[in-house]
Formats: sequence, structure tokens, C-alpha cells
Amino acid sequence: MADELTNLTIDGVSVSVPNGTLVIEAAKQAGVLVPHYCYHPGLPVAGVCRMCLVEIEKTPKLQIACATPVAEGMVVKTQSASAKDARQGVLELLLINHPLDCPICDQAGECELQDFVFQEGRSGTRYAEYAKRFNPVEDFGPDVLYVPNRCILCTRCVRFMDDVAQEPVLNVSERGDRAYIGIHPEARLDHPWAGNVVDLCPVGSLLSKDFLHKARAWELDKTASICTGCSQGCNVTLDTRDEVVVRVRPRPNLDVNRYFICDHGRANYRWMNRGDRIEAPLVRRGGDGELHATDWDEAFAHVLGILRGASGKAVALVSPGASTEALSLARRLFSGFEWTGAFQVVMGEEAPLAGVPNLALRAERAPNAKGAEGLGYTRDYAAALAAAETAAVVLVLDDPDCAVKTAGALIYAGTILGPDAACRAADVVLPIANVAEEDGTFVNRDGREQRYFQAKPAPGMARPAAWVLGELAAALGAHEVA
Amino acid sequence: MGYPHKPHPQETVVLSQYFGDPEARTYQGWVKRGGYEALAQALTMEPAAVTEVVKESGLRGRGGAGFPTGLKWSFMPKEKKKVHYLCVNADESEPGTFKDREIMRWTPHALLEATAIAAHAIQAEVAYIYIRGEFTEPWAIMEKALAEANAARVLGKVTIHLHRGAGAYICGEETALMNSIEGKRGNPRIRPPFPAAAGLFGLPTTINNVETLAAVPHILKRGAAWYKALCLSNPKSTGTKLFSVCGHVQRPGNYEVTMGFPLKDLLYDMCGGVPAGRTLKACIPGGSSVPILNREETERTLLDYEGCVAAGTMLGSGGMIVFDDSADMVYQIMRLARFYAHESCAQCTQCREGTAWTTKILERILAGQGKTQDLDLLLDLSENMTGKTICVLSDSCAAPVVSGIKKFKNEFEDYIAGRRKPVMVA
Amino acid sequence: MSASHAAAQTEEYRPVFAGKVLEELQAILSRYPTKQAALLPALWVVQRERGWISDRNMAEVAEALGITPAYVKGVVTFYTMYHQHPVGRNFVQVCTTSPCNICGAEGVVKAFLEQTGATDPGATSPDGEWTIVEVECLGACGFATPVLINDDFIEHVTPDRVAELVKQYR
Repeated sequence: MADELTNLTIDGVSVSVPNGTLVIEAAKQAGVLVPHYCYHPGLPVAGVCRMCLVEIEKTPKLQIACATPVAEGMVVKTQSASAKDARQGVLELLLINHPLDCPICDQAGECELQDFVFQEGRSGTRYAEYAKRFNPVEDFGPDVLYVPNRCILCTRCVRFMDDVAQEPVLNVSERGDRAYIGIHPEARLDHPWAGNVVDLCPVGSLLSKDFLHKARAWELDKTASICTGCSQGCNVTLDTRDEVVVRVRPRPNLDVNRYFICDHGRANYRWMNRGDRIEAPLVRRGGDGELHATDWDEAFAHVLGILRGASGKAVALVSPGASTEALSLARRLFSGFEWTGAFQVVMGEEAPLAGVPNLALRAERAPNAKGAEGLGYTRDYAAALAAAETAAVVLVLDDPDCAVKTAGALIYAGTILGPDAACRAADVVLPIANVAEEDGTFVNRDGREQRYFQAKPAPGMARPAAWVLGELAAALGAHEVA
Repeated sequence: MGYPHKPHPQETVVLSQYFGDPEARTYQGWVKRGGYEALAQALTMEPAAVTEVVKESGLRGRGGAGFPTGLKWSFMPKEKKKVHYLCVNADESEPGTFKDREIMRWTPHALLEATAIAAHAIQAEVAYIYIRGEFTEPWAIMEKALAEANAARVLGKVTIHLHRGAGAYICGEETALMNSIEGKRGNPRIRPPFPAAAGLFGLPTTINNVETLAAVPHILKRGAAWYKALCLSNPKSTGTKLFSVCGHVQRPGNYEVTMGFPLKDLLYDMCGGVPAGRTLKACIPGGSSVPILNREETERTLLDYEGCVAAGTMLGSGGMIVFDDSADMVYQIMRLARFYAHESCAQCTQCREGTAWTTKILERILAGQGKTQDLDLLLDLSENMTGKTICVLSDSCAAPVVSGIKKFKNEFEDYIAGRRKPVMVA
Repeated sequence: MSASHAAAQTEEYRPVFAGKVLEELQAILSRYPTKQAALLPALWVVQRERGWISDRNMAEVAEALGITPAYVKGVVTFYTMYHQHPVGRNFVQVCTTSPCNICGAEGVVKAFLEQTGATDPGATSPDGEWTIVEVECLGACGFATPVLINDDFIEHVTPDRVAELVKQYR
């Protein structure tokens, strides 16, 4: 095993890394971030920005850490005078044509040019008397704007489209300091995964139209979550500002989505903020037989009453977007009943990311179908609807369009309930949190169970479905399903 | 078309023997002059044996880098497992250099023969001769010669193709040249991998300059010892070199001299020195990418690789640009910086932005708006542009700037101080 | 939408690679192990046939070689000899890099501009006959000043020779 490892020293720290590791990656193990722009672990190496030049003992010239493999006994210095000078030189040159746009640039606060200039750039410009290069903003496609003046020509976007999306619609046009990222008029940047170029862009040159001027990076809280757009289970970060989800970005996971998410998932967050939520538990009582808002105690009492007083068939019609925990409890609740559980999945067109194995926008547009299947739910929704008609109790979990009719009791647990929804006939309505408002897990199409975390509070009295069903199950003393 | 001068008695005529002889261009004419004998000889030898002869001769790359040719050939895999390629670099775009085009215009078959010999030595099935797009005349001549050679079936196993460039100096860089043949932008590649391991189309490749290859048939015919003996100074620099002399000289043109020849004699005896009534001010001996020499340095430089380094410059491509006292050094250095800024491929930050900024500073100085700090800024920029990029275009822009400011500082200061009238508008 | 794109929408596009020219492309393709490597030669053919290379031409070349139009455009914009818009019937390239510069090259440019009526380098003369551009080193420094008029490489051009040359090419 030992001869598969290389030992070297980076900034005085000794590390052992697998043979062939790039110095820039080995440095991470030493706790050293080598400043860089064009390098990205998800893209082929370009070696063009020259920012990661480091000093290596016994090597006359500085070497780029992103393209230099480790060697036994190598001594790397990222903070030597020559390395720092080189970096400061690159930063100065990147700034000479860069507009002073920080006050109006979306990237401010999460901009790698800002970060490194602040860290080790020059404090003043030596380019004051010269005109900066100017090119107008370009609309590249459905969501992407290109601001050429801010571009540092790192070519990450071009390499992403070439090698990862495998649809080369971006190019570098012209030569020298006239160069810019170009596109041909007959092809737009509308690839289903094109939005990733916005994340990859280290500066505010490629921008998301959706996020344009919406929020400042430092105002955002970031929470780890899982995309609910399909069954791939891409890891995402939900960015919230004042408890409103304003952006979805990929979270690296080498086994699932590497560094990317598709545009469908990227745009899939507005529903998390909708205002027309059920904000209080509702029970049907009183002379008018209408649904009345109440507290959880009364709601629970009502449900327990229904459950204790019923026997026979129970049907759970669930959303394949409910958490595994909630789905598990939606079955445990009915121990003692003849239970049927089913879900239906919206299907769409698959859109693979060609350059990454096993990564695609999946046809199944739901995050937890596999989790549901694993818990005994089937896709035979029609059969379940039929069974529901004569069931003693029907639980509808987060499926607002469910067109269920039942002679028995109907319990609806969901986030929204439209005025004409069939579930308005429910005996009890329990308000639950959506994916951004709770912790939970989903099981993706490959059987991988992944956690997501709460990014914002649930509105009103809504609570996570797993809590709601858990309280009920506990009150019933419901034991594990065999 | 321009005809070359008659050989000067002090020239060592090897490559340029048939310059100006139209009959030498034809296949029949070339055979009559002993052509294709060296190739026939090479084809009877083992590839490694041919490489050994070239190694022994001390031949070094004539495109500018001066890398030992036999050594470069020996980097190719000995065991033949994949297709091998030979690329002939006829992109000749280094300012001041115009020797490769003469070899192609006057002795196209010499180049074809040399290509075939080299291909045999490195076991290359295919050779591409990359000719810059502007060389319309050499292209037509090479096309005709190639058709003749193919018809005569004299080239051996190699298939030679001509590939036309389209206006990019950077494609003379060997990895950019390969990218250009592959149908890509002429961007130099990061190394490793090196061409001999993974080059054209990812396969083992050797790239040689036209003038380098042109020496090979002579070396084979007359022997490595003969070539090695053509040496006037340092034994590490052997053979002859075509020096393309241009600028302020009475008799510009290509002059073939033995390595180690005194620059002074080339300039004054052969080229007639600077025009009457003027004095020599500066000389760039190796194409614009090497440091500028002042008059004193010029007159004591020996023309070989080591001699030029000793004088603080480099032999480079041997494109010798001569400036007399009427030359505005500041303007010419600006013009060179502008050349590099125009030709930068745009990959590396230092080159892309640095060449353009250098040009702008010099333009402002020439427009009468320079400041004293500008010289330090230029030197600082030049240091930032040296030794930090994928290829040396960036370094090449810095070379005339640094040497120019060092040796002609008064000219810069005259503009900055307002003692000289501006010649540009800001 | 670019002008050429709009034009392509309204007129029938006449492919460059048809008949004999298509045969020429096949011959070019046979010289390289990849289709992409035929790109530079293919672009030269387009420029020879049409005088310049439009966005629509780039799309045609892209399709013929199995690459994307954006890719082709990246290559076309890199190499300065490919024209991305129509130029005068006589395209004149004058070298003005230092070796020729110190031998009066800028005077040659000026003479061409005056003699042809082209107002600035890069602009086409009002009669559509001439475009004069300054180019970088043409590799004929000892024969200053070299000038390319279309494919004709002319050496030793001085300002007083220009009028004669212009007359010759009219």
C-alpha cells in the first residue's frame, strides 16, 4: 500500500497522497488552499489562469499546481516571495480591464476575484490613465447572461460545455486581450445542464437571469438539501434570504451529482415559498359541518378518535416527495388495519449529463419514489383509489390533486389545499412543512438515502409530517411493522 | 519575385547553394544536382542509425530553441506501437526571419527529401508540412514539388501532406502547431505530456523547423564529422546557419555562415553595414524575441548559441534586425510589443493582458504622456511576464522591452521629459 | 439576431460544398485521421468560393465535419486571415512590423490608402474595390516592404511603386 502513496511537504506540512495526485489537490490535505481560477476538479485541466503558480524546491521556474503531479520528497511553497509576487501579478493583470462593478455585480460577496485581491492583491491600481476594454452584455440563452467586461477568460464555462455537457456551444472568440466567450447565433445556451456555467464562473461574468439583482451573497443563509425535481437525488444548497428560498445551487457529491445540478432542479424552488399554505390544523365539527381551524391538541384528538374507532381497510395515498420518515410513519400508524399504500409520479423527459456517468435529469420527477417502494408503497394508484372508496380510513399525504372519494374517514396532511380540491371533503386537515422547512431523508433511484435539512421555518402552525404522524403513532402505541 | 544575392566569399554555402537557381526547383533539376541520394542512403539504414548520425553532427533546432535535433528524435518511442507523426514547422513568422521561405522557394525538393529522411528516422508514417497562410508562393512551389516527388515515388514510405496556416504567429510554437493541424485554435499546450509521448492526435510526434531539416541530407551525405567540423567557436554549436539580415543594412538578405562567425563581419563585410552616412545603433540578432544588442555588444558577438548568450542575447531564429541611428528605438519597441499583443493566443493572463498593457504604456510615452514611473512599471510588468506562462510569447514581448529600456534609456527619457516631440496621438 | 442570420432566414442558402467543391472536401478529409482536422483547409475553400465566411457558412462547415457552429466560429475568429465580412475585390496586406517599419512600411500603407480611396486601414473603398490592412511580419523582411494583394506576394514595395501597382490591379 505504501508504494501507492507519495510523501511531500507543502508549506511545511507533510502529507501522503496517492501517486499522481495533483499538487493543488494534495495541498488541500495539508490544509492549504492554493488560489486558482481556471482549475476545477470537475473539469479537464487547462492551466491558463496562471494563478496557482507555486515554488517547488529544485525547480528553476514556478510551476502551476493544477497540472503538476506530486513527486516523492517534493517541497512546495505557496507563500514564498516569488509565488506571492506571481499571484499578485496575475491579480493586477486581471483587474486592469475589469470594471469596478462590485456595487452592482451579483457575484459580490462570493467572488473569487474579490476574495484573492482582498487577500493578496495590490492596494491601488497602476492602470488609472487607460481605457478599459468594453463589450456589451450578451444574452446567451434561457437563463444565462454573459457580461464580457467582467470575464477573466478562465474558460471553465467552455470546458464544461465541451467535456461535461458534451455540447460545445460556447467558444473563446478572437485572440489576445480582444478575446471573449462567444456563441454562434444558431445555437443558444439551452442545454438542460447549462446553468452550471453560472456556478462555475468565478466572477460575475456569467449570471443567472433568474437570480439577477435578487439578493446579496452575504445576506444569504445556506442550507444543505436534496433536490426534489427528480429521482437522481442531486445534493443542493438552498440559499435563503429572510426566510425565502431565493436560489438553488449544487452541493458537491462525488457519488451522485459531482458538482452539478440540472436547470430543472435549479428552477425548482419557487413552490417552496408559496404563500397559500394551510397554516392551522382544521377539523370538521360544529353544526355547520364545516372545517374549522384549531390547535394541534384538538386535531390529534380528532384523528386518534377516528383511528381508534375504525377497523378494516386503511389506504395511504402519498406523494413520492414526502420524506422517508413520514412515509414510514404513514404506514406504522395503520398497524392493525389492512393497509394499502400507493403513490403516483409525474414523468418527464430524461436529460443526461453526458460527461458524468449515471447522472441525468430523471424521467421520474420525484425524489423519494424509491423510498416509498422500499416501505411497501406501490405505483398502482388506480387500485388504491378504488380501495379507498370502501376503506375505513384514508390518509392523503401531501398530494393536493388527489381525487379521492371515500365512504370512510379522510385525513389530509399537506402543505396546500385548493378551494376545489377533492380533499376539501376531509374530516381533518393537518398542515405540514415542505422540504425546505424540515429535516428528513430521501432515497434516490440508486437506493442512496440522503439527508436534507431545514432552511426556513414552516408557516403558521405547520409542522414536519414526520412529527405529526410520529405524535399520532406514539399516542397509539403503534409498534414496528414486521 | 525577389531573387537572393550572389554568395559572398565568406559565406559557407551549404543550404543556400541553389538559391536563385530556378531549375533546382524541379524534380529533374534536383536529381541532377545530387538530390534524393541522401534519402536513398537513409532508407538503407536502420532508423536509429540515422538518428545517431544526426546526433553526432551536433545539429540543433534552427527555429529558435536550439534544441539538439538528434536528441529530440531519440525521444520518439523506439518500439513501434502507434502511428508516429512528423510535423515540419514552416510557419516562419518571427519578425526579422525569412530563411525558411527561401529554402522552400528555391529548393523545395531539399525540404521534401529531408522530411522523408526524418520521417524514416522517427518511424513516422505521415508528415505534415505546416506552411503559414501568407506564404502563397512557397505553397504553390511546394505543392508542385510534392506532386513531382509523389509521381516519381521517391519519398519512401512516408505520406507527406501540406497544411496551410491562416494568420497566427503563435502557430509556430510546436504544440500550437499541432493544435492548428488538428483543426483547433492555435493554443500552445501545457506540458507534460510532451509531443514525443502524446502529440499530434495524441500520438508520438516530432516537430522540426525547415532549416533544421534542410541540413539533414547534407549531414547524411557528407558525414557527421564534416558537419561537426563546421565550427568556428564553441564545439556545441556546429554546422552552418542562414542569417536573415534586414532593416537598416545596405545589402539585406540571407547569409549562410559557419557557426561562431563574428557578427561584425557579417554586418559590415557581407551586408555592407548601415546606409551611408549613418551609424549602427542596435541589432537584434535572433528575431525580435531576443534581447536587443547595442552597437558595442553587436560588434563583439560571435554568432553561435553560446556566443549570443555570452553577449546577453540569444541566437534564436537568426533573424537579424539592424537599426541605425535614425531609428526611433522607443517607437520600434512599441511596434514589437504591439506585434506580440496582436499575436497572443489569450490563454495565459500575463501574456493576454501584459502584452496589451505594455503596448499601451509605450504608446502613451510616444504620445508625450509618459511618466517617469512608467519605465519601472514596464520593467515590473516584464518581470511578471517572464517565466510564468505556457509558452514564451510573453517572455518574448518582455525581451525587447527590458533590453531596450536598459540600453536606450535616454530615448525613453527624452519622450517622457518632453525633449522629444510626440509621434503618436494618445 | 445578426444580420446574416436574418438574411439566411429570408433567402435560400446555397451550400458551398456541392459538386466539385464537395469532392474537394472529401479529398481534404482523406488527409487527416479526424474530420475536425479538415477545418482550416475547409475554411480556406469557403473563403475562396465566397470571398468571406459568414455565420451560415460556419454552420455548414460545422455540419460537414461533425462539430458545432460555435466551435467553428471560435476557430475562424482566432486566425486573422479568415474574413468574417466581405472585403474589397483587392485585399491588400502590408507588413508594418519593426523590420519593415524601419524601412518605410507605414508610408506604403499611406500610399495605398491615398491611391485607392480607402479611408482607413480595414475599411473598404467606396467603389468596393480595395481593402487595405496592416498586418504583422510577412516573413520577407529582407525584401521590404512585402505586400500581399489577394494571393500575389509582392516584394520591395515602396511608396512610389504603389500607384503603378494599384493601376495594375484595377
